[in-house]
Amino acid sequence: MNQILVIAWREVTRLRKRFGGGASPLAVLVLLAVLGISAYYLRDTVSLGSGLYRVGVAGDVPLIHDSRFAVVNVNAEDGKALLEDKAIDILIDGLRVISREDDKSQFAVRALKQYMEKEELIRVGNSFAQADAFPLRVGINYLSAEQATARNDAPKPEEIIIPSITPPPAPFAQVLLTLIYIMPITFISIFFTSSFMDEKINRRLTILLSAPITPFQIIMGKMLPYATFALFTTTLIAVITKANVPLTLAIFTPTILFIFAIYLMVPLFYRTFKDTTFIAMLVTTLTTAYLIFPAMFTNVNDLSYISPLTLAVKMYRGEPFGWREYLFPSLPMAAIFGFAMFAGTRMLNEEFLMGYKPLTRKISDAIYLMMAHSKPYLAVPLWSLLVIPVVYMMQIVLLAFATNLPVGLILGATLLGSALVEEIVKTVGIVALTEHGVVKSTREIIGLSFLSALGFLIGEKILLLLSISVVSRAAVAGALFGADLLVFIPLIAHFIFTSMTTLLRAKLKFPYVLALGIGTIVHFIYNVYVLRGAF
Amino acid sequence: MIPFLAVVKKELSSVIRDRTIVISILIQLFIASFSSALLLGMLSLYDSDTVMKFSGAGIRIGVVSVSDNQLGALMIKRGLQTVSYPTLAEAQAAFYRGEVLAIVDTPQNANGLTEVKLYLPESDTVSSVIRMVIQEPLKQYENYLRTQKGIDVRYTDLKGKPATSYEFIYSVLIPMLMFFPAFVSGSMTVDSITEEVENKTLQTLLSAPLTLNGMISAKIVASVILSIVQCIAWLTLLQLNGTVIQNTGWILLLALIIAGITSTSAALGAVLLKDRERSQFIYSLMLLAAASISTLLNISPITTMSRLAIGDAYTSGWNVVVFALFLVGLYLLLSKTSRRLLV
Repeated sequence: MNQILVIAWREVTRLRKRFGGGASPLAVLVLLAVLGISAYYLRDTVSLGSGLYRVGVAGDVPLIHDSRFAVVNVNAEDGKALLEDKAIDILIDGLRVISREDDKSQFAVRALKQYMEKEELIRVGNSFAQADAFPLRVGINYLSAEQATARNDAPKPEEIIIPSITPPPAPFAQVLLTLIYIMPITFISIFFTSSFMDEKINRRLTILLSAPITPFQIIMGKMLPYATFALFTTTLIAVITKANVPLTLAIFTPTILFIFAIYLMVPLFYRTFKDTTFIAMLVTTLTTAYLIFPAMFTNVNDLSYISPLTLAVKMYRGEPFGWREYLFPSLPMAAIFGFAMFAGTRMLNEEFLMGYKPLTRKISDAIYLMMAHSKPYLAVPLWSLLVIPVVYMMQIVLLAFATNLPVGLILGATLLGSALVEEIVKTVGIVALTEHGVVKSTREIIGLSFLSALGFLIGEKILLLLSISVVSRAAVAGALFGADLLVFIPLIAHFIFTSMTTLLRAKLKFPYVLALGIGTIVHFIYNVYVLRGAF
Repeated sequence: MIPFLAVVKKELSSVIRDRTIVISILIQLFIASFSSALLLGMLSLYDSDTVMKFSGAGIRIGVVSVSDNQLGALMIKRGLQTVSYPTLAEAQAAFYRGEVLAIVDTPQNANGLTEVKLYLPESDTVSSVIRMVIQEPLKQYENYLRTQKGIDVRYTDLKGKPATSYEFIYSVLIPMLMFFPAFVSGSMTVDSITEEVENKTLQTLLSAPLTLNGMISAKIVASVILSIVQCIAWLTLLQLNGTVIQNTGWILLLALIIAGITSTSAALGAVLLKDRERSQFIYSLMLLAAASISTLLNISPITTMSRLAIGDAYTSGWNVVVFALFLVGLYLLLSKTSRRLLV
């Protein structure tokens, strides 16, 4: 523990030296102030479609103040001419709204409708008595599906709403709010990765590693100041937004760990500065998308619980959630953190960090390093089991990619993609071991393939059990992971695909990509066959 | 000139050799597809027009009816399928038989307010869909009640077409695809300048027949070339995909200028700070600040880009020239301060 603190303190001094003296702290403060002020002014004005429409205004028309509309003051005659010339999209002449038939003009009308609805509500609400301005109350009651079933729990209480001022079901605002938590964490990551890069450039890593401290202590020590800072900003934002602080911390701690885990990989793999930038960008976009995308569907799809932001959205909406809902996103994230820490301690050696090799080569080395310290018969199934959360995330990402394809191809592409990911995960460990000469004979390879398939399947089923308890109607998860709890046929199938790929690679010396391709295609055909049978 | 080109070539080939550019393209592809997937999902789940279009036929709502039922009429006008029942008990029986998905009770008068009871199934997914499609008739009914009380709500007869996809493509997707490469090229400039300093290869490089300004400019030019190639590719892909884009020439010029601005300001930061850590941090902060300031001042390149792409009548090459002037100023500043890199 002491060592960790020493390294953490060293990290703080390093940062202090970097940012001490000169103009830079001032510059940072000024920039942050500018950001704060502009965010304050922009909070209402920036919206989808900003600057797209031009509106001609003639006569007595309420002031239009919305970033989507650029207003031109005209008289009615000129306005009509401009509208005909397509110079403006709509003309508001007093109470009349004149538009053209084409799409662009009609889109503008819809945008204007949304805007005017909002403005009129404000006007009506301000100038009339409440009971007259909002004369309708809707009481929402819920009926259970079966009348006959004796209900033990009390029915949901009646919910009273006023239709015109009911917030929209889409949790845009809350998701944006939760994004504020993520922003500082990704910024901190620049410093976290730089810390390792510094050691590398100044060749101090050798000295550090020869000291009587473990790589684990080095990583923890370097992470500590940044993690503390991340927790501090989370608390700060929670206080500012008047959220429940312990609950917020509980929700975001796994997320913070997850983001740090991923950023730990960046300095370990980079070769040039540009690598760092690109890998960091990739990581940022992937994690942000992974966090935001599901949260946008809070309450409409139970699968949204794979993102912890969903929990935060629910918190901000004042809706309760249970332990299972909390563990569903948090456990995989914590697991990935644990896995990354393990991988990090294995990779933190000079030879690996300093080598300039193609990225694929580096990844293969990394996998070898993770496995080399224990018996292959233990390492291979453990690897397959532990990377399941990563596979799960990858498949969600694939699904998002696939939605861009024509509808008929979406399912096929997702299945093919997930087959590829699964095959990579199961075979890559064995292939790395054979390439380093640890595993040689055909019998060993087949044995390992079996264990790899077994480990993978166990992990998959654990995840499936976990998700069944939370996700009731997520057909997607079923399609991806095989909704049946029968184990033998999938086990044999996985075993066959895995041993096929590994044997093609190790014994027949196929290029890995080709061997993988063959395994994937067979796996894909099997998946299609299973799905056909199911429907 | 030849050493200048040699540096440009070296920068470009190192990016291609390291395959890092593949990651960058992957990121953009990912952002583009993810955001359109998001849009698709949002539309099909949250946009009542889209929900009506795809599953409106399956939503049957029971209405407990009296002779004059304005709300029921508004629901029919919206395109919802309604079934009338004389009493609430009968409607509920129909609900349990699965004939209707929800029930709307007769509006009641309560202390000057009108109360409507809505009965929804317990399933979150179904009830949120129903709440979504019934929102519009309820709002219209509310307006009707307001009129009864003598309150006139204006502009209620507007219709139009759902604009979300259109707004997304022109105000988000196109600007993002055109400016993301510019953002990356700034980061790349920071990297390639600070790497020379931190690895102490700068002096060696300057022993070649090349001035310091020449070296920095070559790095900027390389980044800009890379970004403009990506922009051309995106524009072509979008057009192949059937998206109508006007003023492609001006759009590319604007993208080029913005890439120039980001790279030059990134170089400026790198020259002053000399290490990657601070330069990247300041660069990202600067970009965020610049984006919000330009939006506040109403000269945002994002808006200009959207307007060029839709063929706005009041937006022309002159709007692009403004940014070009800014770039020239920034470059002059850089060439005056570049010597500080050697100090």
